[in-house]
Amino acid sequence: MAGAAATSSPAVATSGASRAADRSELFDERFLRTVEHLHMVSRKVFAGNLRAERRTRKVGSGIEFADHRTYARGDDFRYIDWNLYGRLDRLLLRLFEEEEDLHIYLLIDCSDSMAIGTPPKLHYAMKVGAALSYVGLANLDRVAIVPFASRLLGRLPPSRGKNRIFRVFEFLRGCEIGGQTDVAAAMTQFVAQHKRRGLAVLISDFYDPRGFEEGINTLRYNKFEPFVLQVYDQREAAPNLAGDLALVDCETGELREVTVSKSLLEAYTREHERYCKELESFCTARAVPFFRTHTGVPFDELVLRIFRAGGFLR
Amino acid sequence: MTWLTPLAARTVAMVALAAAVLVIIAYLLKMRRRRFEVPFSSLWKRVLEQRDANSLWKQLRRLLSLLLTLAIVGLIVVAVSAPTLGATDHRARNVVILLDTSASMRAVDGDPERPRLTRFDRAKERALTLIDGMGGGDRAMIMRVDAQTTPLSRFTSDAALLRKALDGVTPVDTGADLPRALSAAADALRGRPNPMIVIVSDGAYSELAKGQVRWTAPEVAAPPTGAPPPGAPPTGPADPEAEAGAAFADAELAAVDLSGIDVHYLGVGSRAENVGIVAFNVRRYIANKASYEVFIEVQNFGAEPARRQLTLYNGETPIEVKPLELAPGERRREIYRQLPGGESQLRAALRPVDGPGGTDPFPLDDEAWALLPARKKQHVLLVTNDNLYLEGAMLVYDNIEVFKATPAEYDAAPAAAVVNITTGKPFDAVVFDDHTPAVLPPPPSNVLLFHPDGDNSPFAIRGVLPRPRITELAEDHPVMRWLTMSDVNFDQANVFAIDRTKGEVALAKSVRDPIAVARRDGGRKLIGLGWSLAGTDLMLRVAFPLLLVNSLDWFAGDDADLVTTYPTGQRLRIPLDGLTGLREVTVVDPTGKRGQAPVVDGAVTLVAHRVGVHQLIAYPPSTGAPTAGAPAPETPPLATLEVATNLASTTESQIEPAPDLALGGQTLAAPPAFAVSARRDLWLYVVLAVIALLALEWITYHRRITV
Repeated sequence: MAGAAATSSPAVATSGASRAADRSELFDERFLRTVEHLHMVSRKVFAGNLRAERRTRKVGSGIEFADHRTYARGDDFRYIDWNLYGRLDRLLLRLFEEEEDLHIYLLIDCSDSMAIGTPPKLHYAMKVGAALSYVGLANLDRVAIVPFASRLLGRLPPSRGKNRIFRVFEFLRGCEIGGQTDVAAAMTQFVAQHKRRGLAVLISDFYDPRGFEEGINTLRYNKFEPFVLQVYDQREAAPNLAGDLALVDCETGELREVTVSKSLLEAYTREHERYCKELESFCTARAVPFFRTHTGVPFDELVLRIFRAGGFLR
Repeated sequence: MTWLTPLAARTVAMVALAAAVLVIIAYLLKMRRRRFEVPFSSLWKRVLEQRDANSLWKQLRRLLSLLLTLAIVGLIVVAVSAPTLGATDHRARNVVILLDTSASMRAVDGDPERPRLTRFDRAKERALTLIDGMGGGDRAMIMRVDAQTTPLSRFTSDAALLRKALDGVTPVDTGADLPRALSAAADALRGRPNPMIVIVSDGAYSELAKGQVRWTAPEVAAPPTGAPPPGAPPTGPADPEAEAGAAFADAELAAVDLSGIDVHYLGVGSRAENVGIVAFNVRRYIANKASYEVFIEVQNFGAEPARRQLTLYNGETPIEVKPLELAPGERRREIYRQLPGGESQLRAALRPVDGPGGTDPFPLDDEAWALLPARKKQHVLLVTNDNLYLEGAMLVYDNIEVFKATPAEYDAAPAAAVVNITTGKPFDAVVFDDHTPAVLPPPPSNVLLFHPDGDNSPFAIRGVLPRPRITELAEDHPVMRWLTMSDVNFDQANVFAIDRTKGEVALAKSVRDPIAVARRDGGRKLIGLGWSLAGTDLMLRVAFPLLLVNSLDWFAGDDADLVTTYPTGQRLRIPLDGLTGLREVTVVDPTGKRGQAPVVDGAVTLVAHRVGVHQLIAYPPSTGAPTAGAPAPETPPLATLEVATNLASTTESQIEPAPDLALGGQTLAAPPAFAVSARRDLWLYVVLAVIALLALEWITYHRRITV
């Protein structure tokens, strides 16, 4: 009688939480040089478009004309365009673009599923997040880091200036990790706590049994500009398993006994791809910038790809 | 199809059932699966839900796997049961082939093509022919028959196995114990259908051995009715003694029960002429142990006159040569008297003489050996301050020459004192009378000490015993043989601490205290007597001169009970000349082959299979070890004894082959032709099927077909 045979990557076979917990070596000197280089490159990519100030759609008390609208009672008379009244005999109010700093929220999934992979997906996500933070900080944007799982696990308040990057590193090294993924609940909590709208970079594997749609929609419906970055491990997409196994969900602890055959593996790979496509289709249909990457892609290459695609800091 | 397994069908069925149950239980048991952590089991859930439509096929695949495993187990059981095609012949025989490997089978019969062909070679050929002629269902076992009976194979129908069992078998230099072999064969055949014994031999058995056979069952044969029961094999001529009822018990109890067994005889051998030495012995004269006499008995076993030259060797030196002309059947006794000493090994050899009657096909009995301890007049140094009792006792012994020195003279120049100035050689023995020298005479001088005392004593002394009485004598030791010392008075005696690791042995004890001790020390012997001759009345007893003579004889290696030759094939008990505490000795036979022989009660138990001189090498026993194994080769031996063994068997020397063999009065016929039947063992094919199924199971498992 043939015995059960199974092979797998060590990251899958062993608990990844403990490996992901060690983040002391995550942001070293080399990493800093890399992100500085990314910043320099990003300046070339967005030449002429980047300024310290950001014009928002918010109409307010700026000096640059934006639009007209019909006067309503209670509006400030000072902004009535009397010239147009003379020509059109209508009371129209001049609107100006309000100038304010852009808020960039980096929402990093720190659930247990992110701790799996070689290297752990969480480390990869943090590196990408840190790199994007640096670029944002260097452009004098206000960057906030918000780790989450089934809830928000902490918060690095918005700050700007390159010199703040070390606080980012320190925060990412020490922030709480673990728990089940619940994007919807975490985003609901996020939007409730952050009234200042801005760019919400959502970095996650989106392995949420409750679905990813509600969480992204929550950002959209609350006037945030979601930016979705899905991170996965190649071994998750095409695991090297065989034989009789008991698969344990790292978040829920749910046990599922399977006999892994080649056809089953193929079906799983197809299912994983389908799941990723669902996420991509969802984002694309809603004009939400979407990037998918695996941990085998160097993080700086990913960041450059993001810059070149123009999906970030437009 | 026939099942050749020795197991009962019920047993095989039980084993198969148990194995099947185990397999099914293994399939019913929940499999312990290896645990793997996955990040998102919902994906797996979705995949598995899609595949649940195939669950019936999955169950079927596990059933297929179970059936495959059960088939493998079943085939293994079938293979173990040794299935055989075409062996259902109820006439199939169970045959024990008794192959005579006794000394007479070494006779060279020869033929024109192969002049050096021995009788045993021919017997092997006939045995092989017999094996090749067996039917497919016949099963045979081969036993070699000499002084012992040794099975060479189990019952098998595998001709190749039987042929292999015959390879390398050689005859030994012993007689053949036919009754023992027949008894072993009958025991092996008990309960087997169609039993048959085939004796492949030259028929050189004694009439006594051939008569110890009973062809009827004991309960039938017990009343001497004289008429065989219906259906029983024909019995031989009526035994007058049996009819008379006299000596019934002994004869019947010793007889081998061959009732119901078909016994046949395959005779080998052609030549009958042989002249051999049937007895060879040597002894020293009691009065003059420096010389000895030799007894040789030679017999012509042929039907023609024979001419031989008999040569007696002392070592390698021929000392007597005598031509012999022997009439047919003549037995000649030759006695050689007053032979001088010299080498201890004597050899008698018969050499063929050119001309008619000069050839000999059986050289094994043409040589005989005897061992005589080298003996010469011993030169004894007596170190004493004028002890007339001691000197007087020594004077009575003719085989020694006594020299005398005082203790002061000895201590002044020990090295010079122990050398006999007349011969320039060391004294054979030195006797110290109430004096313990600081320097002992070096080997090879033997030493006898009366009352050794102080730190110079070669034997450790642990105390002094006042007025001891000798309560225990080592009567099996040559020094204490024939002595009575229980009535001897002593004022005191030193008590020795016996060191068995040095081979020391207590000669006399007072209750538990050894007061006389002996040991071998390298190439010489030492005796310590714990009393002083000045404080005992031993000198007034008969035991005193006897003690001296025994001691000096032991020094000279001259044992009055020495047996100079032993016959091969018999269980010998060889005394170890005072060596005690041994469990076994190393035996080197004349061909150089080494082995071990046990020592029981101071004597080696040995069955010699070769003619010639055996060496018995005694090593010191391991200290504290319960069983003394063979020590490391570098360990110096305590002593090396030699034993001469000769064929000394007129039965074996009578090599005339018997064309017919009669056992218990019944003449044995040649074996009939075996019923021819084709037979094919199927187990190999079954094993191949098992391997194929295992491979199939492996492939289907790893291709996920049956899981």
